[in-house]
Amino acid sequence: MNAWKFQITINANSFCIARIEDFTIQPNRILLLFGESGIGKTMLSKAVYGLLDTEELQVEINGYPYSKYAGSEFVQKIQSTGFFVFQEPSSHLNPVLKIGDQLSEGILGHGQIAEQDKELLWKSPVDKTFDNLQDIYPQPFRPSGGEKQRLLLTMAMRKLNLYLQSEQTEQSGLFVFDEPSGSLDDELRNRFLNLLLQKFTQKPFTCLIITHDYSIIGEIYRKYQQIVSRFDFKELYKDEDKLAVRPFEAGAYLNWISGVKGSQSSIKANGQPVLQFGNRFRVFNRSMGIFKDKGYQQPVDLIIHSGEIVYLKAASGVGKTTLAKIIMGLYRSDHFNMNLAGLSVSEKTSAKVWLKKIWGHKAGMVFQHADEALDLQADVYHIFKGLPGIRINRKVLIQELQRLFENRIDAAFLKKKVLFLSGGQKQRLNLLRVILLNTDLMILDEPLNGLDFNSIRKTLEIIRQEQQKGRAILIISHNEEIFDSFIEQDRIYYLAALKD
Amino acid sequence: MGKKLAGHLTSLILALLLGFSLIYYFDIGKKAPVARPDSIIKPYIEMDIDLNDPLRQALFKDMITLYHPEQSSDPDSLLRAVLTYRRDMYEAELQSAHTRQVLNEAKLRQLGIMFLKYVIVYILVLWLTYYGVETLGLIRFIRRKQNKVSYIFELINFLKEASYKKLNTYWRIPTLLVKSVLRGLLYLIFFSPAYVIAYSIKTEFNTNTLIFLILLGLISNGLLITYTNKFYAFLIAESRKGYVLTAMVKNLSNDYRFTQPHGVSLRALFSMRKWFKNHVLNHIYLNAHYQYLGTFKEQASFLISGLIIIEMALNIHGHLSYELLQQLLYKNYDIVIVIVMSIFIIVKVTEIFTDWVIDSKRRVYENRNN
Amino acid sequence: MKNKKQSSFFETLYHHKDRLWSMVWFLGMLLLFIWDMLYLNRPALLKVIDGAMNTFLIAFLVIVFALFIAWLAVNLLFIIRRKGFFVLETVLTFLIDIIRSIPQIIGILLGFVFIAGLLYRNIIQSPMAILLTAVLIAFFVFQELMDLMLDRVNHFRRLDFYQAMTVCGISGSRILNYHILWKNSRRHIFNKVVAIFGVAVFLQCSVDFIISVGLSTDISSMDLPVTLGGLLAHIDSKQDILAIGHAITNPGYFPNLFFKHLQGISVAFSIVFSLLCIYKISNGLSERFRL
Repeated sequence: MNAWKFQITINANSFCIARIEDFTIQPNRILLLFGESGIGKTMLSKAVYGLLDTEELQVEINGYPYSKYAGSEFVQKIQSTGFFVFQEPSSHLNPVLKIGDQLSEGILGHGQIAEQDKELLWKSPVDKTFDNLQDIYPQPFRPSGGEKQRLLLTMAMRKLNLYLQSEQTEQSGLFVFDEPSGSLDDELRNRFLNLLLQKFTQKPFTCLIITHDYSIIGEIYRKYQQIVSRFDFKELYKDEDKLAVRPFEAGAYLNWISGVKGSQSSIKANGQPVLQFGNRFRVFNRSMGIFKDKGYQQPVDLIIHSGEIVYLKAASGVGKTTLAKIIMGLYRSDHFNMNLAGLSVSEKTSAKVWLKKIWGHKAGMVFQHADEALDLQADVYHIFKGLPGIRINRKVLIQELQRLFENRIDAAFLKKKVLFLSGGQKQRLNLLRVILLNTDLMILDEPLNGLDFNSIRKTLEIIRQEQQKGRAILIISHNEEIFDSFIEQDRIYYLAALKD
Repeated sequence: MGKKLAGHLTSLILALLLGFSLIYYFDIGKKAPVARPDSIIKPYIEMDIDLNDPLRQALFKDMITLYHPEQSSDPDSLLRAVLTYRRDMYEAELQSAHTRQVLNEAKLRQLGIMFLKYVIVYILVLWLTYYGVETLGLIRFIRRKQNKVSYIFELINFLKEASYKKLNTYWRIPTLLVKSVLRGLLYLIFFSPAYVIAYSIKTEFNTNTLIFLILLGLISNGLLITYTNKFYAFLIAESRKGYVLTAMVKNLSNDYRFTQPHGVSLRALFSMRKWFKNHVLNHIYLNAHYQYLGTFKEQASFLISGLIIIEMALNIHGHLSYELLQQLLYKNYDIVIVIVMSIFIIVKVTEIFTDWVIDSKRRVYENRNN
Repeated sequence: MKNKKQSSFFETLYHHKDRLWSMVWFLGMLLLFIWDMLYLNRPALLKVIDGAMNTFLIAFLVIVFALFIAWLAVNLLFIIRRKGFFVLETVLTFLIDIIRSIPQIIGILLGFVFIAGLLYRNIIQSPMAILLTAVLIAFFVFQELMDLMLDRVNHFRRLDFYQAMTVCGISGSRILNYHILWKNSRRHIFNKVVAIFGVAVFLQCSVDFIISVGLSTDISSMDLPVTLGGLLAHIDSKQDILAIGHAITNPGYFPNLFFKHLQGISVAFSIVFSLLCIYKISNGLSERFRL
């Protein structure tokens, strides 16, 4: 079968925002597309699927204007039998329509939700989560992010089942999964992968998976050796003024990850801990415990010494970020106690203590989405203005930035609007803001979010440098493969809900 | 909702209390006798001179300086005092004549009928604007999705390419020209304050009818156009959201033509309860509709202002706002307060009602009814 | 990757409707001025110019004051909330809600009568009256601006944006005023300010018209600065507007409107045309900035 080749140019208000000479998708194969966040993976996929808004963007594909391309038989075909699971599941479900209705709307009404799909995506047939969701409207906190993600995946599976039942053999539709594991923990991601590949083995289809989750490679190589040859691993990158795709060496990643273990820090903790967080706490009417054993037997205090990195793990939706926000005083816990760099803090502590003594002094936190955490409209220099206790001048800032970025940083970079930086650059600025503060404790929430392979390596290097400078670091991440290797086993904690 | 309702009721009670104390205050004020003239100005107040005339004023001042140098105050302030006293007297006269009205039971009944009339017009216009805003907003949105540009731009585009076109297509030029002029005129009417429209046609039509009042309330003062545009903006914003894409990949129709079987149904478009089955527009509309409810309070108070302007400017006797203006002129402040309070009550009741509607919708969407 | 393509003047205007309508407004008013110079008698022309100047001056002052009051209220609420003064917050919101519930036109009408009274008793002079009028209107329109600012603040407070900066120790007022209001909301605010300019013109003309028509006796607003609304209510302008009706039923009379009835027509056109253009500019802005 012929490869689908696309030459795409996308303009917005007469500005060229993306151009690629050769974007190829092989039919009836699975393409795993990596690349830095914000580089244009989603936009290109939407362009191919015929979903871009021509009012905002002027698009040309293979020399045709977009309206002509989108109306072509080819696009009709990939749309009629394919599906697109978008990233950010919250905004892709209609908040004023019941979930049940959304699951059986349009062509989905003709397809079945197979028991097997339910079992794999929703844990077990006896689990009532899925059925209970039918009658409710999607809202920010219910269903949870992971559940919303699985609802969209369920829709895709329903459409996929229609394709599997059909007589169609020649050309399938296009199934695009954009960051399908963004809100899933490793276990659920693996279940999804398992389900998808079962269906693929049953009858192949054309599939494009956009992801930053490099650990998916390890999973595929470990469990699906027999169909690895049906995968294409590729990476989208910026080549001067245009985009290009190059093969991604899965082997290189696998080699690297096994090497990370060897670089584990050997700094030994001593003296008073920087953070000691009591083993139980209560928030949003739930009791939570911190454990060192995977079986959640005996709660222990979370202890971090100067020069130590601690990794906190939990299933998605359990509340890792909530714990970080309690430490930072952003959420009020009903019951907790901690000692932070000599300061005793509990639920009775006044909010002023955080304002005056903790924020920017004893502790700092890097939030997971750089896009949300940074003021995108400000320029790079102003991101660092107003930080307490340090006088920022342009020269020092350039030196610091130089440390984080491979390229030469000049004064012009400081004047750049954050909005126009790449995902990796934004994440590094996000990190640098807290690094500059020199706080005793640094909390990193999903520090590898949206980064490409190179940026991941660079970021880990920076974290290691900060550790060597003697800072206490708490890492929260669902990127288990990387951090399990990066951090020593005895520095890993687990968070779980306690039965009341 | 409980908190909001408490807020509304408290402010309503407070405002009413304030109103009643003001009425009491003005009631006492009415009975107070007019002040006796000052002994200094007494000799001059009976003089038969038109002191509003600048020439006479100058003469008056010269006279004082020349003939009464013993006068302690300067001529300017003396003149001012005389003028003020004369005006006060004039007003008092005005009051005591036909303009003075007492707030008794009969007056209250008369005001009650006016109030009822106002409320009926208000509810009718509110309902009509609600329907008009949604329907017109949707039409504008659909036209945009059909890639229709405004007539004037269509004309310019046509003229730019005119040399390539066949001669028999040139009839489009006058048609487009007339269409764009008519559209421009319509826009001007929509933006005209009510009094401009009313006075423009007063000589030829009877503008004192209730129907005209309702019509004017609907189309003038920019009410319909402003909120149509707000609704349209909601539709545009919603159409860019992610769930619309999900609806599209579920193969819901995205065809906005009226003529196609999978296009937009005209019947759904013009019905009160709009539902676009199996069309992406349904998703967009439901969300925009929910958002629009949030601005309904603001729209209602805009309409109340608009109706007041219309009634006042049209000078129609027997209407609440005109009565307000009259009583303001006659300085019957107790009646003014009663009317202002009654309008405040309409605002508050509307606020309570819209808050209730929004809250019950929100309860449903936030799954709080389960 | 960002290469700017050349786009024609026409295309630019089509995409920047705010600029297009600013131009239309300016040209329309210029044309009207030239026409009036040619065909309107001098005293009437001076009156129209004076009225237009006062109207736009007051509307401009309204937006300045409204911006100030709204900014003050937002900062005050922000500080009160941050410090956790719940009672103060409730009282302040309650008071603002009461102002919101008074129909603007009634509030301004009563205020106008009060200002006219002050003028009449020589307590204040005309320039002061212009300032007071602007403050009065601003007092009844600032909530729209304040709501917008509060909406923006709440939007950013829900995102990590606010918390991420807070935990870095960046001061609340810097986050509010520099990052949220200036960097991320100034386009929204500017757009709202344009819309409020239109509302100010509309309210001011309407109240002035009503007062001049309804209260045109000794206690009227004769001493108030002349605005377009007041001018329209004058007997000669009113006759001109009434002539439009005559022209509708007698189309032959139509051309006379542009020569014989120029004063009233000019005033009415200035009001309606300005309102339309301001609305279009505001729409164009929100479309261009994707607000």
